[in-house]
Amino acid sequence: MELLSHAKKHGVRSLLLQGLTFISVLTSAFMIWKGLSLFTNSESPVVVVLSGSMEPAYYRGDILFLHNGYSPIEVGEVVVYKVDEKPIPIVHRVMKVHTESETGKQFLLTKGDNNSADDRGLYNPGQLWIQRDEIIGRVKGFVPYAGMGTIWMNEYPQLKMGLLGALCVLSLFSND
Amino acid sequence: MYNLLQRLSGVTSFAVSVLLGLVVLISVTTPLIPSSPTHAVVLHGVKTTTGRQMDPYDKTSRAAEYARLTFDVDADLTSMFNWNTKLLFAYIAAEYSAPGFETNKIVVWDRIIRSRRQAKLRLRRHHNKYTLRNFGLTFDGVQDANLTLYINPVPYLGLMYDRPMHSIPLTLPRAAAAAAA
Repeated sequence: MELLSHAKKHGVRSLLLQGLTFISVLTSAFMIWKGLSLFTNSESPVVVVLSGSMEPAYYRGDILFLHNGYSPIEVGEVVVYKVDEKPIPIVHRVMKVHTESETGKQFLLTKGDNNSADDRGLYNPGQLWIQRDEIIGRVKGFVPYAGMGTIWMNEYPQLKMGLLGALCVLSLFSND
Repeated sequence: MYNLLQRLSGVTSFAVSVLLGLVVLISVTTPLIPSSPTHAVVLHGVKTTTGRQMDPYDKTSRAAEYARLTFDVDADLTSMFNWNTKLLFAYIAAEYSAPGFETNKIVVWDRIIRSRRQAKLRLRRHHNKYTLRNFGLTFDGVQDANLTLYINPVPYLGLMYDRPMHSIPLTLPRAAAAAAA
């Protein structure tokens, strides 16, 4: 109803233009994300810490900026990795590195600063080491607590839907 | 005329840009703050034994050689604490090359230093916190081994970087029984 009255008042063109602006904002955001992904060689260059296993260095809700690159992983680096059978990426520190001479293949063992045991219990069953290609990125910089909104939205889906709804309504009625 | 919503959006976008500028400025300048830490690692001895580790995830649990290090650490890292230092992650890594594996790096000890008060390390005859075992299970053919102290400052906000501090040579002997055989 209101959409119709809006169209009557401003014409169909302005409505279409608004739709176009909205789509261009979405696509440019997507392009920036994918460009960053290409530059850092990481499938997700910005991640939010979801657990407290790296406290007191990183807390839940901290935003981490990752750079993967192509160089071998060093011991002491904080990396984000994802193993096949667990969907959630994990942020932990590398404690052991063995690099094979012929292939350059790396065998890595990680551990959370706040955990007393290493990560073998978090890998796939029977997996003792993680490989270079399971690393999503190494932590290069971070901003504390800036990702708390993401965690709230994941925990309370109503909040996410409400926010999205409000944004849609606002974008329809804004004049710029 | 501006309505409330427009004013609000103007204020928040300005605040966000100022915050972003500050984040970049702090990130770039923090690694440039000078510090003058003192540090020394002294190795007293390495004792290698053969045994089986009780690892719940390593079902093979084959017999392997384990090296037990005895070392001293003297370090004064007080000057590495500045206004943007949340903590220092200090760790000692054993690095060596072995047949088939050109580089091997194993963290044998670490400590999280959270304040200036904890930043003076004085460890006497300390042993490794984590097991030191080669990928090939024995220390056969291991060479160019050394022990290095690293400091990884974690800021409240900004960039991560590592500082290699003090490196000393290390020999990883075979276990007595294996050497005799």
